[in-house]
Amino acid sequence: MKLATISKEDFNLYSPWTDKYKPRTISEVVGNKEAKEKIIEWVREWDRKIPKKRALFIYGPPGVGKTAAVEALANDSNMEFIESNASDYRTAEAVKKVAGRASEHATLFGKKRLILFDELDGITGSADHGGVRVITEIVKETRCPLMLIANNAYEPRFSTLRNYCVLIEFKKPSKSDILKYLRKICLGEGMEVEEEALSFIVERTGGDVRSAINDLQALAQGKKQLTYQDVSWLAGRDRKEVIFYVLRSILYARDSTGAKMAVNAADIDPDMLFEWIYENVPYHLKDSKELATAMDALSRADIYRGRVRSTQNWTLIRYFLDLMTAGVAASWSKRSPGWVPFRFPGRIRYLSSEKADRAMLSAIGMKIRRRCHISSVQAVKEVIPYLRIIFENNPEMAAGIAKWLDLDEDMINYLNK
Amino acid sequence: MWTEKYRPATLDDIVNQKEIVERLKSFVQARNIPHCIFAGPPGTGKTTAALCLAHDLYGEGYREYLMELNASDERGINVVRETVKTFARTRSIGEVAFKILILDEADNMTDDAQQALRRTMERYTETARFILIANYSGKIIEPIQSRCAPFRFTYLPREDMVNRVRHICKEEKLKIMEDGIDAILEVSEGDLRRTINILQAAASIGKPIDAETVYSVIGRANPYDVREMLKLAINGDFIGSRNKLRELILKYGLAGSDIIKQVHLEIFRLNIPEKWKVKLADVVGEIDFRLIQGSSEEIQLSALLAKLSEAGYDIKRGF
Repeated sequence: MKLATISKEDFNLYSPWTDKYKPRTISEVVGNKEAKEKIIEWVREWDRKIPKKRALFIYGPPGVGKTAAVEALANDSNMEFIESNASDYRTAEAVKKVAGRASEHATLFGKKRLILFDELDGITGSADHGGVRVITEIVKETRCPLMLIANNAYEPRFSTLRNYCVLIEFKKPSKSDILKYLRKICLGEGMEVEEEALSFIVERTGGDVRSAINDLQALAQGKKQLTYQDVSWLAGRDRKEVIFYVLRSILYARDSTGAKMAVNAADIDPDMLFEWIYENVPYHLKDSKELATAMDALSRADIYRGRVRSTQNWTLIRYFLDLMTAGVAASWSKRSPGWVPFRFPGRIRYLSSEKADRAMLSAIGMKIRRRCHISSVQAVKEVIPYLRIIFENNPEMAAGIAKWLDLDEDMINYLNK
Repeated sequence: MWTEKYRPATLDDIVNQKEIVERLKSFVQARNIPHCIFAGPPGTGKTTAALCLAHDLYGEGYREYLMELNASDERGINVVRETVKTFARTRSIGEVAFKILILDEADNMTDDAQQALRRTMERYTETARFILIANYSGKIIEPIQSRCAPFRFTYLPREDMVNRVRHICKEEKLKIMEDGIDAILEVSEGDLRRTINILQAAASIGKPIDAETVYSVIGRANPYDVREMLKLAINGDFIGSRNKLRELILKYGLAGSDIIKQVHLEIFRLNIPEKWKVKLADVVGEIDFRLIQGSSEEIQLSALLAKLSEAGYDIKRGF
């Protein structure tokens, strides 16, 4: 349980845009006009009397603004806000301990109180034993408004609980509503973003506003401009799940199964996924022991990949997948380093950015080869480094060599650089 | 380039590899040579010996009777099928009945290309003789080896290296200090080509050459020096060291095996407790082994860097 407060730190440069641009008032929440009105109406009812059903059960797909709406509402009506989510233990006892008491008493000074049980889907059978039952008890008795949030209210284990709640469904907002919101963020960040790029982001996140905002941040942070070209490489590669979420669910998976499942969700080539994981691991694992363990898992994954290639025995690929997902997830304590943007695999980026350089090097290498009886590869490694020094220090000697090797102007400029 | 300027032109000019040179001279006298394999470490005179042999055999115009291919540039089977064949089957017009084809870095040839080469060697023996040059003859397939006379080149004795350096300095009117010579020989590891390249780069600076000049040249010429990468890792900057690694592999084209060889050397030069050097050597050994099994050099070497970061953390805390 925690008291939700909005600290100044949340507004610093690197905070997630989903926080930075969180709606401050419920009217700012994207879409779901009817549902929002119902919520407001229901809370007002508490001013007159305790309603027949003392809890709201808000449900809907991820990232459509369920929690945002409740938080914004608490903010609007200046209520004391008590929240429990999946990061808290929710055994019967734990729930009773805080929410139980909070729901029994009115606050001092007459300030109203709002209790939220978020991420109810996250209440697990064993670890949070009896949690749902106790929540049901609290719902029956509560003396202040209580809200529940889950993706699916119709799970069997919520059947009793449901009877005591007003059900409110949140739906995916329309594309134009989400676009409007993203444009506001771009304005706030002083970015120029092509309409096509925004449109692309919204479409591929399929109505999940949080995903859209996260993608926008991952793609655009630090840039003044974002073009369709900047985002289009995401196309087709990972339609089912945004790669960033796949990565997040692998790195921060609570158990092996979760980490392994994420691979299935990713419509992405395992080798490419490996590159993404390999690139991003050190930015999240800050402890050197944990990092070494995770890198060891990747190293062993790579060995299996090598074995698959050398034996052509593709059944071995499952161990490659195990180690790169569950192996990495299990190697660390998952203390979040704060919001860290996921990075495009540097190896792949590097290869393309160094292309021109390498082309120049091998062209010079070919010239040397013709004269020095060595291969161009060898020339690049063993001769060019010394040529650079000579070109830097001794123009006369350099000129002689340039002529002897028949270097063109571009090559000479390159060596002088 | 001084490596070419001071490359011996005739077999008589070669001061090293005496037994090899003697046998090559006897080939010249007989006006006949077998197919040959010249194997040995870099910068020990393999290519030079082949060129000198051709020179002595054909005289000044020897280039007309000679074709040089470098397997690491032209390693495909098509090169053997087309370029090599075309050259091999046309008859020489001089007094020597055959031409010479030098195939440098032959150990870089694909197996397919080597198989194709084997037939070509047999079929055109009348018109062409092959000299295969390699660092390791073991990488050349058995059937080819059995068709060739093997010559093993060895590292040049220090004395000969010193004499060569002094000779060049005299010709180029350079002043070189004792410690300058020592420094050059230390870093060039018996590779005469590298020795001369370092010497020329050091000379370009325009001062008398001392150890300091040499080391500054080495430092700048070897961006693929692994020391910087190791330092970053040990000091806990894994990301920085991985970027360095990336540069070495992708930008400078270093092979994983080269990098790990250097890392292994450097481990023992690090300023860390002795027991850690041994522990780390063990870690390097494990990764070296994995390099062979795995599929990506960068991944394996990164795992090594992460291990080094971990060790650096422990060492700092006095373990």
